[in-house]
Amino acid sequence: MKKVLSLVLALALVLGVMSFASAEDAKIKLVVYSFTNELQGMIEKYYAPNHPEIEFDFQIYPTDGDAYTTKVDTLLGSDAASEEAPDIFTLEAAFVKHYVEMDWTGDLKDIGFTDDELAVAFPVMAQIGQNAAGVQKGLSWQSTPGVLMYRASLAEKYLGVTSPEEMQAKVADWDTFLETAEELKEKSEGACKMITGSGDIWNAYQYQRAAGWVVDGKLNIDDELLDFEELVKTMYQDDLTQKAGAWGETWFAGMQGVNETLCYFLPTWGLHYTLKPNCGQGTNDKMTEEELSTYNLENGNGTYGDWRITDGPVAYSWGGTWMGVNAAKVATADDAKKAAMHDLIKFFTLDDDFLTQYAADSGDFVGSAKAVETILANGGTPNPFLGGQDHYAIFAKAAALANGALMSQYDATINDLWSKNVTSPYEAGEVEDINEAIANFKTAVAAAINTITVE
Amino acid sequence: MQAQPAVKKKVKSVSYSHWGYFFIAPFFIVFLIFQLYPIIFTFRTSLTDAMGWEKILNNNIIGFNNFKQLFDSNSLVFGKFWGSLGNTMIMWFFNFVPQLGFALILASWFTDSRLHLKGQGFFKTTIFMPNIITAATIGMLFMSLFAFPVAPINTFLQTSGIVNMPVNYFRSVEWSRGLISFIQWWMWTGNTMIIMIAGISGINPSLFEAALVDGCSSRQTFWKITLPLIKPILVYNLTTSLVGGLTMFDVPHMMTQGDPNETTNTVARFIYTQGFTGSHNFNMASAASIVLFGIIIIGSLIIRYVLNDHEPKPGKAARKEAIK
Repeated sequence: MKKVLSLVLALALVLGVMSFASAEDAKIKLVVYSFTNELQGMIEKYYAPNHPEIEFDFQIYPTDGDAYTTKVDTLLGSDAASEEAPDIFTLEAAFVKHYVEMDWTGDLKDIGFTDDELAVAFPVMAQIGQNAAGVQKGLSWQSTPGVLMYRASLAEKYLGVTSPEEMQAKVADWDTFLETAEELKEKSEGACKMITGSGDIWNAYQYQRAAGWVVDGKLNIDDELLDFEELVKTMYQDDLTQKAGAWGETWFAGMQGVNETLCYFLPTWGLHYTLKPNCGQGTNDKMTEEELSTYNLENGNGTYGDWRITDGPVAYSWGGTWMGVNAAKVATADDAKKAAMHDLIKFFTLDDDFLTQYAADSGDFVGSAKAVETILANGGTPNPFLGGQDHYAIFAKAAALANGALMSQYDATINDLWSKNVTSPYEAGEVEDINEAIANFKTAVAAAINTITVE
Repeated sequence: MQAQPAVKKKVKSVSYSHWGYFFIAPFFIVFLIFQLYPIIFTFRTSLTDAMGWEKILNNNIIGFNNFKQLFDSNSLVFGKFWGSLGNTMIMWFFNFVPQLGFALILASWFTDSRLHLKGQGFFKTTIFMPNIITAATIGMLFMSLFAFPVAPINTFLQTSGIVNMPVNYFRSVEWSRGLISFIQWWMWTGNTMIIMIAGISGINPSLFEAALVDGCSSRQTFWKITLPLIKPILVYNLTTSLVGGLTMFDVPHMMTQGDPNETTNTVARFIYTQGFTGSHNFNMASAASIVLFGIIIIGSLIIRYVLNDHEPKPGKAARKEAIK
């Protein structure tokens, strides 16, 4: 009797699950892989409520210790068409090139994107999302142009600079940048440093290059990089920097005004998520926005309101999050699913209304040039943190100018080896000359990357 | 002899022995999937041209080319691999020698019945404590303690007037290696000490009593009784420390990233950078792992050979003779 009963129960359960599953089949299932819950939050807030026909399966793996790339690589490399493999995955600046160069990342035109649609994205972000043959495989909802951020009070005190335009004249190119740094040392008697360390200007300076690290399968050391080495060595030897690394204690201390550091090279996200939270604000929260914007280090709000931004010596981009599709899943998807993928990516990366709304909600700098125009036309975004300066206008200039063709899939590894083998030992004077450092660098690159030629 | 019953009565014996296999099965299943298979896979990968994730499953066997490169002084990886092995050996040596010394001294003090130290539990726990914290955490801790130019150690030394200028510890070869050796020593002395105490406690107390009665000094007791009798424990300790030392990864990886100029790069970091950065040279990483495996086996055999007693073992024939 017991056996019969359990059999009946088991059957009921199986049937129940089956009927449940068949009812769900009508929905389009999208597996979305990401390294933060940012996209999940955006989809749940802005997209899922209007699209009940789509069932999302979010898989989030952190980028720490390569957990995300390892997971996605193994899934795509072994069984890309399987149920649990991603349909859509997000890509960070550090590894976006790795994926767009691979066959298993799909051409966005395969899910229905047209050239006209793609044209509204900022060229730098679009270029980074293309492979060497120019196939568009990734689109970014953010654009991450970088600028020079400086403390107005220090600039006025030591350099007599009273506006971002005057400051720009002092940092128009790297030679004047160095002259200004020397002037700053002289006027402040060494108390105020131009930057924290060489790592600070690297992200900007690399956009000065004429070509990227790899040209026609060969390692290319651009002449600009040799100039960079001379610049950072001079700055190090002449005590024009704090001689510390980015993201370290000294770096953050400068943001709070604990030490006097004039300039930071940071992109859009650096303003909202790095500089602002670390400026030392918070000990006096009774102040109004207006009081805040008139900076005074004594008022208990750190350097809030003391920052201004200007173009800096070179337009650059740092960061970004691209969305890509799994080629194997696109190949097996029906039209409805392809349309759903197309609509989703288009909504987040190119939709004017959404991006305008999102920019207003989050303060993020979005990836569509058209949406940015709309925001600027609507009066921009005066920012009390910047003493009322409109950051959108300055960012828009840099976003239009930065050259995205310089990035390659090997950048993360090669940049790291360059900093370890050339910049760190050379600026500190640990190697005889630059050639010795470059020889070490070449050996290290050749040992790490077998697929490029090193001469 | 008793007469057998004409009809053999079938006794349904209940054997529980096969259940044993079920109980040990989980270990073997896990071992097969997560240890044996990866080992075999690594062996196979080392013989292939598997570079990059695309080729991890679809690759061609190309023979011993990867190994040849590791032993060919003209190849690119030669200097990096053997250089990192040298770094590992140096850092291991300066961790292990003081570690063994301190552990032996502490263990003999804690077990000495004449000293009869008070508060042993407290000291043992305190000395063992660093071993409980993960190495990566300690690496991060020391990185921020010794950072440059503003960090606790530098600030302390400057305000107390010991140095005038902040010291950039992680640009100095001696400091970087020294700190890594120190961390390893600090973390593992407690562990070695506990094993030593266990080894010494296993010695028959009547030996120590006899030594006491015969008027041995503490030093004599240590050198003539304790040390010879804990030899097997020493062999165990040296071997595990060799394995742990040569595969050193977390502290250098978290703290120095191989800086300055790859002087704190360890073999495990070499394998990691080959396999998981750049063009993902899984083949080279696997070959290096296997060479490291070989080096560890040879090292362990040497330790066993050097420390074991070399009395000729009685041969099989001799043993049979003895039984008769």
